[in-house]
Amino acid sequence: MESVLTVQNLQKSFKDTQVLHDISFSVQKGEIMAILGPNGAGKSTTIRNIMGIMYPDEGEVIFHNHEGTTIPRHKVGYLPEERGLYKGVKVMDILLYFAELKDYPLDSAKERALTYLKKFDLEGKENVSVDELSKGMGQKVQFIGSIIHEPELLILDEPFSGLDPLSQDVFKREIRELAENGTAILLSSHQMNLVEEMCDRLFLINKGRRVIYGYMKDVKAEYANFKCMIYGENDVQTLEAIPEVTRVEQDGDTSVLYLEPSATLPDWLNNIPKDLDVQEISVDRISLHEIFVDVALGRSIAEKEGVLDA
Amino acid sequence: MRNSLKVGKWEMKRNLKSKSFLISLFLTPLIFIFFATVPNLLMDDGSGDENGTTVYVNDSIGAYSMLESITQEQSFLSWNLEETDQSIDEAQSAISSEDAFIQLNEETLENGVVSYVTGDDVSNQFTTQLQTLEQPIKQMQIQQADLNEEQMALVSSPIQFQAQEASAESEQGNMSSGPFAEDPFENGIPALFGGIVLFSIVITGMMIFQSASQEKKEKVAEIVLSSVTPNELMQGKIIGYFALGLIQVTAWMVFIIPLALYLVDDIPIMEYLLTPQLLLFVLIAILGYLLFASLFVGLGATLEDASSGSNFQGMVMMLPFLPVVLIGPILADPNGLAAQIGTFIPFTSPAVLLIRLALIDQWPWVEILIGLAILIVSIWLFMKLAGKIFKVGILIYGKNATPQEIWKWLRA
Repeated sequence: MESVLTVQNLQKSFKDTQVLHDISFSVQKGEIMAILGPNGAGKSTTIRNIMGIMYPDEGEVIFHNHEGTTIPRHKVGYLPEERGLYKGVKVMDILLYFAELKDYPLDSAKERALTYLKKFDLEGKENVSVDELSKGMGQKVQFIGSIIHEPELLILDEPFSGLDPLSQDVFKREIRELAENGTAILLSSHQMNLVEEMCDRLFLINKGRRVIYGYMKDVKAEYANFKCMIYGENDVQTLEAIPEVTRVEQDGDTSVLYLEPSATLPDWLNNIPKDLDVQEISVDRISLHEIFVDVALGRSIAEKEGVLDA
Repeated sequence: MRNSLKVGKWEMKRNLKSKSFLISLFLTPLIFIFFATVPNLLMDDGSGDENGTTVYVNDSIGAYSMLESITQEQSFLSWNLEETDQSIDEAQSAISSEDAFIQLNEETLENGVVSYVTGDDVSNQFTTQLQTLEQPIKQMQIQQADLNEEQMALVSSPIQFQAQEASAESEQGNMSSGPFAEDPFENGIPALFGGIVLFSIVITGMMIFQSASQEKKEKVAEIVLSSVTPNELMQGKIIGYFALGLIQVTAWMVFIIPLALYLVDDIPIMEYLLTPQLLLFVLIAILGYLLFASLFVGLGATLEDASSGSNFQGMVMMLPFLPVVLIGPILADPNGLAAQIGTFIPFTSPAVLLIRLALIDQWPWVEILIGLAILIVSIWLFMKLAGKIFKVGILIYGKNATPQEIWKWLRA
């Protein structure tokens, strides 16, 4: 795979607080790479350092296919977390302005703008003033603005925030399509369920440090152990005594048992004590969401910091 | 630079398409014209018709031809003269409401009394206009008094007041009557033009402030900054609003110059305007713009909501109006201390220089050059500082920057 962007040993401090500790990762052509983490973990700071809106205290940001130390602004598309549009201008005008700033030919830009407006269900809105757009429509126009110049690398900071489920799906579809056509995509999010479905690799960050970095499927295999939910009146002690159970969460009659990674489901189910009160039972993989929550709260998995072969 | 021009073009186009800019663009000269013409129209009320007042003159002392030449010379006398043999009593009963009657007879020469009758609709100005006759009649009286030429010259020459400077250079001071220029229009009209340019672009400079502040509010800055550097964005704004200012001046001039030509037709405005002095005045105006533009663009980047600015920001906004304080002292003495100090303070020097250079004949080139040098250095300095503030400020969301924070950014 061909790397488009490599970030090496990024360090950044605000005043006396170090907000980024030794952050390293890369983004490859045609993949969707996600930076995940709770609020304040350092996602936006990392991205802003890549975009040259801030400068790292230490470390390097390397754009491959580009000579020199400057940022190849024309090859990068960026949708910041804090985003908006100029008021009182037409949708097409602002899109063409963004294209012009990137030195993208205006006739192709116009064509692309119309195509994408149609894709995003905004056909015929090109001459509408920005003021008349709803928040969701505005976000779509911003997204089009960030890809109008066919960037090699697309950086999306929280692209799904504030979108309704329908628009989220449209965004997901378009992002996936861009990646299939060879765009390298780096996106940050705290909405795990969305990312889980679409990203190839992920970089989980907490308090400015790397927690997990690797392919989604490996991360799931490694961390997403089974969990077993049992509905019935049971003692926590009894449940914790079951072999291969790492943790038990109990809320009234509902107990959730987290299993060790090595546990194989059929064997484990056979070993459940016969006197357990089981009204209902379900077994599931731990979702990325739960890994995330665990990490954010600094629970079990968080201690097992590590890298998977990426 | 190319990117700055793109930003500049965008800012210009965006404003040219916005209704509020267009309204102010055309409304301002219309208001200007309104204030220039309506008072005149109101004042002319009554006798304001093209034909003017028909003035019947009963002349028994041979002053009619003199009267004719006066009415021709003085364009503000809209009199149609006509000789008559009517006596004042007849005139009193027969005069129509739009006419006037003047009696010039022996009594006029002996006692200096001119009797006149005016119709009901003749404006009050007629009485004032009559004063123009005072000097010529006085002349005739003197002629009657049989004085010799020397005495005549003495009596008729007006009293002149001549200022003498208290310093050693008093010989030079004798030459002209005080520091004021011989011909007030020679420098005055180009300076007035420069003043309009300065005023207009300082006003558009204030739009820069709004634009920077809006950029924060609308949160577009970070998107734009993924394509251009903060400095390019800032310079682009300065260039864009400069062009807007010029468009505004041009639009105003299209209205104002023809109006001015129409109102004051005895002064060759265009000849006075298109002189080498104009270049200097326009240069001063442009420098003034650059100074305030850099100040405002930096300031705008510190404020998300212009209405909630602190006293500090409010004070900076008032800086362009600082010269107003100095206008009085400068008019009193264009080479005085206040004027000199004003020339050397960058915030006041553009306006002060324009006023001073319009008033004085002998330009103090050393002072002008020092003033301009200080101004140019200040512009360079302010651009640097504004760049620093802009870079950090434009990306801070949700709050206004405090003076302490701004100080910190400046030192970074």
